[in-house]
Amino acid sequence: MEPKSIILPQDRMPRQWYNILADIRLNPPLGPGGKPIRPEDLAPVFPMNLIEQEVSSERWIDIPEPVLDVLRIWRPSPLTRASRFEKALGTPARIYFKNESVSPPGSHKPNTAVPQAYYNKVFGIERITTETGAGQWGSALAFACAQFGLECKVFMVRVSFDQKPYRKAMMQTWGATCVASPSAETKAGRDVLARDPDTPGSLGIAISEAVEQAVSDPSGKTRYSLGSVLNHVMLHQTIIGLEAREQFKMIGVEPDVVIGCAGGGSNFAGLAFPYVLDKINGRQIDIFPVEPAACPTMTRAPFVYDHGDTAGYTPLLPMHSLGHTFVPPPIHAGGLRYHGMSPTVSQLIDEGLLVPRAVKQLASYRAGVLFARSEGIIPAPETCNALACVVEEAEKAKAEGREKTIVVSFSGHGLLDLGAYEKYLDGQLSDVGMGEEQLAEAMATVKDYPRPAHLKSR
Amino acid sequence: MSPFPDELERRCPRLGGPVRFAYCRTAAARGGVCPKILDCWWERFDVVSLMRKALSGEAFARLSQPHRPPNKVASLIDLIRQARERTGQAP
Repeated sequence: MEPKSIILPQDRMPRQWYNILADIRLNPPLGPGGKPIRPEDLAPVFPMNLIEQEVSSERWIDIPEPVLDVLRIWRPSPLTRASRFEKALGTPARIYFKNESVSPPGSHKPNTAVPQAYYNKVFGIERITTETGAGQWGSALAFACAQFGLECKVFMVRVSFDQKPYRKAMMQTWGATCVASPSAETKAGRDVLARDPDTPGSLGIAISEAVEQAVSDPSGKTRYSLGSVLNHVMLHQTIIGLEAREQFKMIGVEPDVVIGCAGGGSNFAGLAFPYVLDKINGRQIDIFPVEPAACPTMTRAPFVYDHGDTAGYTPLLPMHSLGHTFVPPPIHAGGLRYHGMSPTVSQLIDEGLLVPRAVKQLASYRAGVLFARSEGIIPAPETCNALACVVEEAEKAKAEGREKTIVVSFSGHGLLDLGAYEKYLDGQLSDVGMGEEQLAEAMATVKDYPRPAHLKSR
Repeated sequence: MSPFPDELERRCPRLGGPVRFAYCRTAAARGGVCPKILDCWWERFDVVSLMRKALSGEAFARLSQPHRPPNKVASLIDLIRQARERTGQAP
């Protein structure tokens, strides 16, 4: 009988991260004046050892032993067969989830927080600042800093600070200082508070505060840390996929489909990039980054970005010219223009190695609830997006009568997101806010316009 | 009475938690409109017309015209420059 979970022995844990920059080409980022950015330009916010990783094109980078020592608290994470979820779906597909919710903060984020804290420590840094939205990244960095005896200062966007008191308590328990942003501790924060004392804050303000504290420390012992998008973050996350590959080898199975939710790209990249390497080397495998359909960055150009006319109000976007809310044609974004998405993930989409998928909000929570009722673990809302795509693939396998193996990144648990579940279960969430009457009116107005062209991924 | 449906709520993909529309109107740098406001709200109501009326022509054009978002590394370097200017530090 196949075991429920495939547990990789700790002595077989990967000793190197996989750096996808060795296998793809990216244009160098340009700084002010259009000049390529130099590593030293980032030195005020990152230690040089991390900057070297950010620009490295070495394919394999050693994981330092002290980092492995901390990661071993919860790694290797289990690769678990979601057999009850399969049964609930009635699918012939075999579904595995790489369970990143078992980390102390409950998500994949410490996979990079731990090495970032370590590299800062060995560089002589004593204090790390960062910003956080709902607190997942802030709590991961707080945990990591505690492991290496570093001070940690987290600027949490006020609206989330007020909504998520338990995240703040987690950070404080690990010894971090968590303040609502904007705060009176920085010039950036004071300026905002002077203009609007009741502001809910924003990520932009919180980042400004965190960077200001790092840059203005006269001792030079403070740096800043970022938990998504950057190359070194993706690099550190690849331990997820490298472990998964070893775990599948243990049972003699190879996945046909790899799925992960992609916000900034990091948990998706963590599972997917080692499989992208396999795909580059000729293996047949489908790799799907998943995002919410309601606010897409990968599957559809954000509204008007790709339209040729200056204002973007051509008949191709009838809702603009007619003032109606209307489901616009999904247009492939093309090019590196995905807001907030990792450049490496964006590049791989452009090259056709990844096929982005979008899922609706209700389908996402439906998948999450089914998963919770069958496998027991309550997924984070973002994880639900990936699970909704799993459901689509499992149903496709059922329709085709095909056995296939799906692996999904279970990026985190949702135990601190129960408010979202409560709303779903109370029927307070919907996919489209428009009423049927309004929708019919909008559709009648645009009946002679080109029919929406669907992406191949949907 | 505010002309905006400020009480409407959705999950912010950047923050990872629920926000009201009022937040999206002020979530960008210096209290500006979040660059994703049109992408996030178009399914709920006619946010395009609303923002076109609410913003100056120039501000609305910035929000809606084709543009390439800045690379994260380039953004960080700009934040470093701004922080140094605010705190009176030489580069």
